[in-house]
Formats: sequence, C-alpha cells, structure tokens
Amino acid sequence: MNEISRSEQLFDAFTTLADTLVAGYDVLDLLQTLVENCHDLLDVDSAGILLANATDELEVVASTSEATTLVEMMQLDADAGPCLECFRTRAVVSVPDIDIGSSRWPNFSATARAAGIRSVYAIPLRLRETTIGTLNLMRNTCGELNPHDIRAAQALADVATVGILQERSIRDASRLRDQLQEALSSRIVIEQAKGVVAETANVSVEAAFALIRQHARSHQSTLSGVARQLVSRDLRL
Amino acid sequence: MSNYSFQTASDALSDSRALISELAHPFARFLPISGASISTFGSFLGAETISATDARAGRVDELQFDLGEGPCWDALMKRQPVLEPDLTTRSSVSWPAFLIAIRKEEIGAIFAFPLLFGPLQLGAIDLYSVVPVSLAPEQQRQTLVLSAIVSRILLRHAISGDDLSGDTSAYSRRLIHQATGMVLAQLGSTAEDAHLTIQARAHSENRPMREVALDVIERRIRFDPLAEPGETIL
Repeated sequence: MNEISRSEQLFDAFTTLADTLVAGYDVLDLLQTLVENCHDLLDVDSAGILLANATDELEVVASTSEATTLVEMMQLDADAGPCLECFRTRAVVSVPDIDIGSSRWPNFSATARAAGIRSVYAIPLRLRETTIGTLNLMRNTCGELNPHDIRAAQALADVATVGILQERSIRDASRLRDQLQEALSSRIVIEQAKGVVAETANVSVEAAFALIRQHARSHQSTLSGVARQLVSRDLRL
Repeated sequence: MSNYSFQTASDALSDSRALISELAHPFARFLPISGASISTFGSFLGAETISATDARAGRVDELQFDLGEGPCWDALMKRQPVLEPDLTTRSSVSWPAFLIAIRKEEIGAIFAFPLLFGPLQLGAIDLYSVVPVSLAPEQQRQTLVLSAIVSRILLRHAISGDDLSGDTSAYSRRLIHQATGMVLAQLGSTAEDAHLTIQARAHSENRPMREVALDVIERRIRFDPLAEPGETIL
C-alpha cells in the first residue's frame, strides 16, 4: 500500500470513528469497526478487543475473525498472556516472537501457534486512571510492529477509548461500569443471534456473523438491535 | 377463593422465592378441586412427591407409585392430560388396582397433567376433588400453561445441583450462547428454553455443557420440536 492511499484510509478511519461518536453509537459496533480498521490499515493479520467485565475478567467482544482458534486464543490470553499483562500493567506489551518466553504462558503460546500466530502487540484501552480493556494485534510473522503502525494503532485505540469514556461522564464510574456491562450482555444476544442465523441460513457461525453485520450496516441499525430481533424471531436473515 | 385467578396462580408459581414444596398450592386455589400434588418420576428424574396440598393428595401420589399404575402414569406416557370427572360412575378404567385402593379415600374426580420439557418426561400433577367435578376447556388450557411453568422449575431445580458448567470460562460461555441460538431456532423456542434444553442434555449424559454446545455448533446433534401436551384441546 503506498503512503498516500494509506494516509487517506487512516484519515477515513478516523472520520468514521468520529462520525460514529458524534452520531451516538453502540459500543460493540464501535469496537467491531475498530478491529476491522486495524486489520485493513495496519500490517497485522488479525485483531481483537477484550473488555473487562464487572469482576475484572477480560472477555472477547470483537474480533476480525470468528475462527474459534483465534477467539479461544484471545480468551486464553485473558487468563494468562500478553493481553492480561497489558491490562494489568496498563502498558503496551509487545511479543515479537511467541516462542520466546512461551513458558510464561504455555496454553496461550500453544494455541496461538496452532492458529498460525507468531507475534502479538497488545495496547491498553485506557484514559488516565481508567483501563477498560485491551486492543490486540496479531501477526503471522515474527518481529516488531513497525513504528508507523504502532502510532496509528495507538491513536485509533485512544480515540475509541475516549469516545467510550466520554459518552458517559467519566466521573460517574458506576454508569461507565453499567455501560460496559451492558455491552458485554449485548454480546450474549449477539452470540445467540449468530447461532440462530447459522441454523436458519445453514451457514457457519462466521458467515452468520457476516450476514448480521451486513444487515445492520445496510439498515443503519446497531448489531445488538439486529441480534435482539433475530433471537426473538422477529427478523430472519 | 374465587378471586384467586389464573394470573395470581401463575405469578405465585413464577415467583423465584417460591419453595418447591409449595408448588401444588396455586393449583388447588385457582381450580374447583380439593387438593393437588406434584411428583417427579419417569426416565429423567427420580420418583418423588415434590409437593402436596394435603395428606390425601400425598396418598393419591404414593398409591400410584406403589401400584405402578394410575392417571399420573397415563398422563406422562400419553403426553396428554387424563380427565376423570366422575369416578363414582366409572367402572372400566385402565387402572383397576388404583381404583380399588383409593375407594376409601372418597375421591369423586381425579385429573392428571403431564410435566414435560421437550422430549423429557419429568413427572405429573395430580388434582383431585371429593365430589365429581369437570374442568372447563379454559381451565384445562390454563392448567397446561401452569404445568409448563412447573416443568421448567423442576428441571432447573434438578440441574442446579450439577457442576455442568465446570469450566465457566468466557470462551465456553460464548460457545454455549451460540449453541443456544441454534437450538432456539431448531425448537422455535425462547433462548431460556433452548439454554435449558442444552443443560438438560448435558445433565442426562453427564457431560460438560461446553461439549454439548460444541456438538450442536458442529451439527453432530440437533433437537426436534415436540408438540406441547394438550395441543389438540387448544
């Protein structure tokens, strides 16, 4: 990708994020857009976001692929891995070669390797004292992420975080917690909706999610809104 | 008692604080009967009287267990209510030993409603009246609705002791939610019923829910919708 079109695309990504924030949005839609932006614009093969739930456990809420190995890997990471470390230390964790230091996180490393992942870069979603989760960028090759991509990823993550934290006043910690908890509960309905579409359209869970997103976009609805209609069987895809 | 409506009975049953041992009472209050009992038996749950409004209701249950025959057995096997509005004139029924045994109990009418959840046979509700009495079609329909509530309560109660979720990781929950979506589409049910269906399957096979969920997602098992009992009278 040449530098100019890349800058333009990044500019577009920020504009889209800003538009979403101004227009009012669904947290999950925002985060899904964010991982897709990272995947499309940066030199990474997959991306995902984990948010902390009420008991401070990290849960996968957005990912560029539904491949169970990817999701499972990130979830293992939430128990012991670079994402958890990133969340706890509230600092970037870069793992340029997952084989080095794999003994620290044996389950995570083994699953990551099985998914073809060789390096991981985890960025905290944080604003001052509040950390709400992590953005994880995965590559199928070893090595550090290039400085350009690091800056872009950090900026995308920061804009999304500020947006989420601004939506509700950040002084009101309990409302923020409610909002994030709501995003996590919406996730339940979205997972159920994937199952509904996988069954009714006889497609894979991954393809089902693509159909749901397509529908949400073309009807300017939120993912959770569409998911609720699918689960209550008021909508068929 | 006339102001004890179907809705009041339904609310009383649905109250999460309600005790399992009190489940029979709302039936006796909203129907024109003398007493009610609820028991579990069949292939899924052990034979046990869960709730009885009075000693006679308890004996009606017990006799059927001892004799291995009676309206509650028929109701469960046929997946339909068994209605005997006037036992005094009834001579040739399919449970001769039970009829003889309850003679001294002075029972005029007896009704049994099956407790089912999908394909699972959970037990039955026995309702008796000392004088002959009929249940109007609307009352039968309402009793079926309440029976469905009781079935879910008993099933949840039976399963709650299990450690099926064994691993409660976020990843397992995700699989279970996806499988719940598939099953609710297969059954045409609510998400709650679909989840309970997966849980019940895990319980009966003594496997973690995650494994059953994975079987659903990978299409190794599927669930077929079953007609609810009494659909013919609706």
